[in-house]
Amino acid sequence: MAGTVIGEGLTIEGDISGDEEIVIHGNLRGRLTTTDAVTVSGTAVVGADITGASLSVAGQVTGDVTASERVDIQAGGKLVGDIKAARFTIADGASFKGNVDMEV
Amino acid sequence: MTEASVIGAGTVISGHVRGQGSLEILGRVEGDVSVTGNVAIGAAGRVRGNISAAELRISGHVQGDLRGTVAVLLESGARVVGDISAPRVGIAPGALARGHVQTDGEPAFAGARAPAAASRPVAPPARTAPAAAVSPTANKLEAKPVAFPTKVEAKAPPVPAKFEVKAPLPPPPKLAPPKPELRRPEPPRAAPAPSQPEFTPVRPLKPEPRRPPPPVVPVLSKGIKAKKKKSGD
Repeated sequence: MAGTVIGEGLTIEGDISGDEEIVIHGNLRGRLTTTDAVTVSGTAVVGADITGASLSVAGQVTGDVTASERVDIQAGGKLVGDIKAARFTIADGASFKGNVDMEV
Repeated sequence: MTEASVIGAGTVISGHVRGQGSLEILGRVEGDVSVTGNVAIGAAGRVRGNISAAELRISGHVQGDLRGTVAVLLESGARVVGDISAPRVGIAPGALARGHVQTDGEPAFAGARAPAAASRPVAPPARTAPAAAVSPTANKLEAKPVAFPTKVEAKAPPVPAKFEVKAPLPPPPKLAPPKPELRRPEPPRAAPAPSQPEFTPVRPLKPEPRRPPPPVVPVLSKGIKAKKKKSGD
């Protein structure tokens, strides 16, 4: 079970930091920092810089992303922002706009 | 389906949390929380901010006001510093609360309880005049224990009470503005009163001897002091 779940219908304005997995179904505006995985579900709208071990995006994300392991944009996902990660995949049907830095 | 939200034990949120659905806080939140569903704060949960929800069940620590549209329940181990208001408020043994607690619907009873308010004199004086701690006992013993309730709550006597208070206010330099009226009529037992004046003169005396030396020092080291202050700032 994920350590932290931001449910659909919930809005957070501010910073989130921690050392556990974070799953977002709702809205987040601010900054997100964790040492574990971050999952942005299809219902989520995130306007935040994200730092984590890995990031999976099925919803909308606007902000720069730094991942120590990988970033995956699922089909239907939308990401606008710069990405810095060792591995980066964009599924067919996903949209992305930004710079990519994979030389970590 | 509104998925329940969880703020994990290892997560810190600094900012506002609001929206629909329920929320379980096992970690730390520094900011206001406002949701339409229930809020549960685990034993390790920490919140610094106001919380508004339907039902709040708290086992952790909260520094802020709690507003429940249904209920606020403090479980054992809870620690709340702030005001609590809800139709139902439950504080379990082992829970700690500091602040104003109000159960909605109480205002209706407040009018009926007004006459019975005399039974509450203990609380009001403590809040109104904490400094009174020294002399209130003496005053009560002497003559007019009723004076406190009348001042605070009774509506008929307030006028005379006010006048009395105003008059004594200027003379007493410091503590206990409400009691002076009692002291006037009963100067003999005003033992505490003289002790206070004694203190007052002591303070002015001290500054006088202190003042002379400072002018000497600054004259010698004005420049140095100024530099130190600037560097310190």
